[in-house]
Amino acid sequence: MADDLYSVLGVTRGASAEDIVKAYRKLAKKLHPDLNPGDKTAEEKFKQVTAAYDILGDAEKRRRFDAGEIDASGQERPQQRYYREYAGGEDAARYRSTAGFDDLGGFSDLFGDLFGKGAGARGGGQRFAMRGTDAQYRLEIDFLEAVNGTKKRITLPDGGTLDVTIPAGVDAGQVMRLKGKGMAGVGGAPSGDALVEILVKPHPAFKREGDDIVVEVPISFDEAVLGGKVEVPTIGGKVFATVPPGANSGQTLRLKGRGIKSKGGKHGDQLVKLTVVMPYRVDEDLKAFAEEWRGKHRYDPRRKLKEQA
Amino acid sequence: MLSERDIVAKVQQLTVTRLRVWVRQGWIRPAAKAKQPFSEADMARAALIRDLEDKLGFDEEQVPVLLNLIDQIHGLRTELKTLLEALDELPDDVRATVKVRIAKRKRSTRR
Repeated sequence: MADDLYSVLGVTRGASAEDIVKAYRKLAKKLHPDLNPGDKTAEEKFKQVTAAYDILGDAEKRRRFDAGEIDASGQERPQQRYYREYAGGEDAARYRSTAGFDDLGGFSDLFGDLFGKGAGARGGGQRFAMRGTDAQYRLEIDFLEAVNGTKKRITLPDGGTLDVTIPAGVDAGQVMRLKGKGMAGVGGAPSGDALVEILVKPHPAFKREGDDIVVEVPISFDEAVLGGKVEVPTIGGKVFATVPPGANSGQTLRLKGRGIKSKGGKHGDQLVKLTVVMPYRVDEDLKAFAEEWRGKHRYDPRRKLKEQA
Repeated sequence: MLSERDIVAKVQQLTVTRLRVWVRQGWIRPAAKAKQPFSEADMARAALIRDLEDKLGFDEEQVPVLLNLIDQIHGLRTELKTLLEALDELPDDVRATVKVRIAKRKRSTRR
């Protein structure tokens, strides 16, 4: 059986359906066994031509033949299963190679985990082994817990628990890596790590700037003028800070060593931002005093602003 | 699993001799000494080598070079897939950060 049905009918691949019918009829008239009694070759040819016409004369069969889905005898042609369909699967794991990506391994620990251990084997026959995946968790703690350090227990989705020791001074967004507490490895490879991302709830009074703690402390009008000791909260408890005479809003006092203990063992400072708060009610005394004081000591707090804008 | 005969029967233009040569070369690596040591993947790989030699006209010096490159690509694709799946499990904000970093990196390397 010829592979090219078109040449059997003597037409081109682009022939129209009508051309094919015409070509077939012409050949059939010439080759039909009843018109050629005793001619074996003609009979053989007639069979071929008819078989070709059975396929090319049928639009759907012709399409499938053109697409290579059926062969010249109309048989389903087995579709080749291409290697790429298997190449990502388990059976092809021994062929996959990550040799030559060593240079990426030094990039970050992430790539080290991927390309480094057990991923793909070279030289065949090696058992497939893969380090367990890292498990990701998030843990929200209070501001003061982050500052002073704490121990926390996470309940895992599978009911197990994970104890996390959080060091003093941990910052929001920091990730704690617990070696070997992730998913189990495959084929004797080690377990992955548990990665715990620390979220810190904001504190109503304390704000963190690096290792320093910033607290806004309101002082009264008379404390601002005369100075004095005011009680100030710190992360280690209450202390008294000395407000100098003539203090102003926006002025910052630095309490040395009252901040967060940093990794190097040093302590940050606490910054006390002063805000002068006027009396809640302005009484006659204050009014009279202000009137009199203004007469003699007028000052312009907006002088600089006027120069600027 | 498949035997040598199964592979030869199913992959056209393949002979037992040819298949054995490929196995000896290490281009196809059947599972140890089993009666039916070949997987479907091995069969597809045999068809690939057949195509490389017969249809595309590469010779036996060139085929191992191609196989090595193809194996590297699939190794890389698998690692990449693992990486992407791992990224997919991350919280949205982290994924967004990664996205931005990738875009940034692409911009700076393009130029």
